[in-house]
Amino acid sequence: MTTAAVEHGHGGDAHGHDEVIYQETRDMRLLGFVLFLCSDVVLFSAFVFAYLYLRGTIDEWPPILNGHQLPRLDLPFAEFNSVVLFGSGVTMHHALENWKHGKKGLFDVFMGATIVLGIMFLCGQAYEYSHAAIGGWSSSIFGASFFTLTGMHGFHVFCGVVYLAILWWQTKKGVYDTGHYFGLTAGTLYWHFVDVIWVGLFFLFYIF
Amino acid sequence: MAVATPTTTPAIPHAVLDHIHPEPQGFIRKYIFSIDHKIIAYQYFITAGIFFVIAGLLAEMIRIDLLKHTGVLTPNVYNQVYSVHGSMMVWLVIIPFVSGAFGNYVMPLQIGARDVAFPWLNLAAFWMFPPAGLILLASFAFGAPDAGWTEYPPISLQAPYGTSMWCMAIFLIGISSTLTGINFLVTIFKMRAPGMTFTRMPLFVWASAATAGLNMVATTALAAALLALFLERQFGVPFYDPTKGGSPILWQHMFWFYSHPAVYIMILPAFGIISEVLPTFSRKPIFGYKMIAFSSVAIALLGFMVWAHHMFTSGMAPWLQLPFMIITMLIAIPTGIKIFSWMATLWGGSIEFSAACLFAIGFLITFSLGGVTGFFLAAVPADLHEHGTYFVVGHIHYVLYGGSVFGIFAGLYYWWPKMTGRMMNERVGQLHAWITFVAFNCTFLPMHWLGLLGMPRRVAMYDVEYEFWNQVISISSFFLAASTLLIMGNMLWSLKNGKKAGPNPWGARTLEWMISSPPPYYNFKKVPAVLAAPYDFGNPLPYVGLEAEPGAMEATPQHTTGFVPAH
Repeated sequence: MTTAAVEHGHGGDAHGHDEVIYQETRDMRLLGFVLFLCSDVVLFSAFVFAYLYLRGTIDEWPPILNGHQLPRLDLPFAEFNSVVLFGSGVTMHHALENWKHGKKGLFDVFMGATIVLGIMFLCGQAYEYSHAAIGGWSSSIFGASFFTLTGMHGFHVFCGVVYLAILWWQTKKGVYDTGHYFGLTAGTLYWHFVDVIWVGLFFLFYIF
Repeated sequence: MAVATPTTTPAIPHAVLDHIHPEPQGFIRKYIFSIDHKIIAYQYFITAGIFFVIAGLLAEMIRIDLLKHTGVLTPNVYNQVYSVHGSMMVWLVIIPFVSGAFGNYVMPLQIGARDVAFPWLNLAAFWMFPPAGLILLASFAFGAPDAGWTEYPPISLQAPYGTSMWCMAIFLIGISSTLTGINFLVTIFKMRAPGMTFTRMPLFVWASAATAGLNMVATTALAAALLALFLERQFGVPFYDPTKGGSPILWQHMFWFYSHPAVYIMILPAFGIISEVLPTFSRKPIFGYKMIAFSSVAIALLGFMVWAHHMFTSGMAPWLQLPFMIITMLIAIPTGIKIFSWMATLWGGSIEFSAACLFAIGFLITFSLGGVTGFFLAAVPADLHEHGTYFVVGHIHYVLYGGSVFGIFAGLYYWWPKMTGRMMNERVGQLHAWITFVAFNCTFLPMHWLGLLGMPRRVAMYDVEYEFWNQVISISSFFLAASTLLIMGNMLWSLKNGKKAGPNPWGARTLEWMISSPPPYYNFKKVPAVLAAPYDFGNPLPYVGLEAEPGAMEATPQHTTGFVPAH
């Protein structure tokens, strides 16, 4: 082992390893966050499997409870609520883009709109729960799968709203600038993830 | 494998690290809430070791009960004892040992990293582990879980409150596993030393990567199953109760979708340990490096497609049986590749029968036997006879004790000098290996024919004709338990009286042996560039720019067996 090669290797450093390799870098955090979202997808998938499995055990859906077939869910209201959530995905996208380009005023507008739309979605879900005609959480497998899955999703939206609020507060504290904004990227990813999960749930419960 | 020499090496930048975080000095920050992966690994070792003793004592309670065909314990207590024994051994002993302890200690050192990717996450993941164990133990006060470690409904729905605590405990340890999995994957993908490509990683790192992937994906599915069971037990939400439209078979699908990959979570790191121990003690390059590495990944992927082989007698759709049987049998291919590669590594080597090596060779024998009985169980016609009998108990202990625990013992003997800087007494270690091997086989081998004769598992009393072999098993199991005292005493003895190990007592070639024992807080003062896979015994070490500890790079082992191999 000669040190010459080592010196040469160090001198010809074109890869930029030296500075960054033992710090928690952006791409490490990004990979970690994406892996976290992947394992969260599995959590939803397991419950979706349970729902489809239970649905497959009976001939007709919705199931029959106390001699009456349960009604289907209220589609028009869910469509309205979905538009609210998807709209918040659009505003979140614009919030991040405006932050990247240093337009802090527009960032505030879009970030605020995202949080308001998220809260609106949660209120809509609360309204839907209180008016649902399919019985309670523990009345049937319909209630069990619907309230558990959409409730888990609602919990994720709630956490997302809190998360976005913290991120917004952090931008005011000067944690991020136009070059370093990993928290905002992660928040955007999380928010889109919640949107995508809703697409699946909407199809599975309201259309299918 | 090409012998890399520095003159032909292209400019691989090695990392110069002048920015080293100071080591925390206070006791709490240094030993209790440390973010150093090595300290966290010690914490896992100690905690999992304590649970190993507790779960082992529960196992001995099972064996004491079965000394007489009329049973000694009341059946109710017996059910709780074997359920908690199984749950603890799986979730609080083996998984934390192989991932939390060995993975945390060895993997970052082997890839030349200073720590894992997210040290704080590592700390958080560890501190979910002791509370999970305490919750599970506390369940004895509320009527412990009594439907086996699998907790099938509807029995688990009717059990007292302890089963809900079981759900909480396993949920908690599951989150810990998931976080560890994410952490390890990012570490392995992003923090390898310069020049360490995937095919230059030590095989233990490959095994850790495959395990981390399984932990990350499968454990979340278990979390869903547990959450549903908890909701049903506490709030009556119907998922599993057939009287309310649920399906008990749904639990079996969700549980085994996790728990079959979980057996690979338990065995893959042990495969990695064996892949490190065997080349070192036969002083030969590992045979079939790439095949061993890729077969770990193949096992991890196939492991997700076989869960229903646990359910052949459950009444699931019959057309599912054939594909699950065939895919299960396919797993024998990557596993067989590993076994043959290890045997070829030993073949013609200058084998030094140290304690670690004896356990590794014992592993090859017992794990292969467990694999063979697994093949029987995978075949639907045979499984219909064997399902729910003592045959299954024999099989699972051959793969989990003869596999994972033998791997853990091999790893402990192998890395103990690195972890503590002291050598264990080698003769006592070899005695431990031999007694364990003999007592293990006397304990678990008779279970196979007892099962074939029709003795069911999970019963507190049994037919009088099975009594003789049950007494043989019980008495052997006492020796098996007692043999564990040898390694415990050996460890305690070596901490004070063991010979100083030096950086590289075995003459091994992976990176962790290039630094002092125990390693400094920052692991590597300078991180080397890596030019090749580490197993080329006989060639110069493939590291450039390493500030190696004096004596580490000569690769001359201290012969502990007194047997100097002829060259």
